[in-house]
Amino acid sequence: MAELKIERIGGIAGFGLPRSHLRSRGALDYDLLSDADKKKVQKLFAAGGAKDSPTMRDGFVCRITWQSDDDNRTIEVPEALVPRALTATIRDEIE
Amino acid sequence: MCRYCTIVPQSVLLKLSKDTRFSDDVRQGLVNTARVDNETRKVREQARKLTRTSLAISPTLATLAPAPSVLVYDCKNTQVLPGTPVSNPAGSTDPTVKRAFETTTAVADFYQQLFGRNSIDDAGMSLLSSVHYGMNYNNAFWNGFQMTYGDGDGAIFIDFTKGDDVVCHELTHGVTQFSLQLTYSNEPGGLNESMSDVFGVMFNQWRASDGAKPPSWLVGEDVMGPQAIDKGYACLRDMAKPGANHCLAPQPDHYKQYVPGMDPHESSGIPNLAFYKIATAIGGDSWDKPGQIWYRALSGFGPSPNMKMKKFANRTRTVAAQLFPGNQAIAKAVDTGWKQVGL
Repeated sequence: MAELKIERIGGIAGFGLPRSHLRSRGALDYDLLSDADKKKVQKLFAAGGAKDSPTMRDGFVCRITWQSDDDNRTIEVPEALVPRALTATIRDEIE
Repeated sequence: MCRYCTIVPQSVLLKLSKDTRFSDDVRQGLVNTARVDNETRKVREQARKLTRTSLAISPTLATLAPAPSVLVYDCKNTQVLPGTPVSNPAGSTDPTVKRAFETTTAVADFYQQLFGRNSIDDAGMSLLSSVHYGMNYNNAFWNGFQMTYGDGDGAIFIDFTKGDDVVCHELTHGVTQFSLQLTYSNEPGGLNESMSDVFGVMFNQWRASDGAKPPSWLVGEDVMGPQAIDKGYACLRDMAKPGANHCLAPQPDHYKQYVPGMDPHESSGIPNLAFYKIATAIGGDSWDKPGQIWYRALSGFGPSPNMKMKKFANRTRTVAAQLFPGNQAIAKAVDTGWKQVGL
C-alpha cells in the first residue's frame, strides 16, 4: 500500500520555503484515488514531474512523495496538474 | 482542463462541458470559459501582432486602446479560469468583485500617470482579473494572461484583493513579462519578484499618500488573517528588514547569502532592501526619483531574460546618472544602496 504526501511550495506568500513559517501539506492513501486519478498520478511519476508554464508567476508547485515499503520517490508538478482529490487534503498552517 | 496554460482548445472545453461526471457548476464554467476564451484569445493575439509590428516599424508604439478595459470574472470557488464574466464590476454588490475592478483600475492609473505606461503591454491591453478562485485559497497569481485572486482561508490570510500591493504585484509581473522579460529562476527570478514587490509597495504608498501615516514597506500587510496577526506576523515580507521575525517568509538581506536555485520569493529580499535603502536615502516619495530610475531600468532597454542582480544594479547606476545628470546625492544614494547589499 502506498501513501501520497503532497506539499505546496511557493505562491505569493512563499509557502514551504526554507525560512518560511508557512506550510501547506496533505496526504492520501493511493488506493483512495479514483482509477482516473491513479492514472494521472502514475503518468506524473513516470514523467518524473512536470514544469510549470514559463509565464506563470506566484503559482504553487506541488511536491508529491510516493511512499511505500519498497519505493520512495518525489516529484514536483504545477498545482493545476494534481488531481483535486489529492489537493483537497492540503491544509495550510503557520509553524 | 488546463488551468494554467494560455490556450485550451475550444473543442476540449465544450466536450468536457458535456461530461456528466463534473458538477453543474464546473460544466457551466467550461461553457463560459469556451465562449469568453475564444474572443479574448483573438484580442490578445491581435494586440501582440500589433505591438510587434509597431515596434518593428516605428520607435513610437501604436496604441491599441487609449486606456485598458478592466474585466472581472467570478470563479465561484472553482478553479476554472477565467470564470463567469461580471457584466458591471464597478457596480457589483460583491465587494471582492468591486474591489478587484477599482484597484486594478487604480494600478492602471498609477502606471499611466507616473510612468506614462498604457497598461501591462504599454499598448492598452485589457486587464483581466478572476476572483473567488478555489476554496479558501491562500494565494494570488499571474498566469501570463491574467491576474487571479483567492479569498484566503479567513485565518492565515483574508481576501487577496484587499491588498493594494498584492494587486499591483501581480499586474507588475505582466509589466515585467512585456518589458525586461526576466525569467523566474535564480537571480533573474529574484529580480522578477523584486520588481513586483517594489512597484506593489510603491503603489500602496502612492494610494495612501495622504500624509496621515509614514509610508509602509511591508508586503502583504493588508491580507494578514487573524491567526497570522495573533502569532505576531505583520506581513509576508518587509522590504526594510527582509529577515525580520514579523515576516511570514523572512528573506536574505545580502548578496553573500544568495544561493543558486533559491526561490524567487526568497532572493528578492536582496534587491528589495537595495530599493528601500536607495529610496530612503534619496528621500521624498518612492514613486518619484527612485521609481523613475527603477521603471526606466525595467522598461527602457528591451528584454534581458537572464539578467543577474549585479547587472541590474549597474543599470540603475547608469540610469540615475542619465535621468539626474550631475546629481551627486542621487548617484551616491544608488551606489551606496546596492553596495550595502553586496552589489
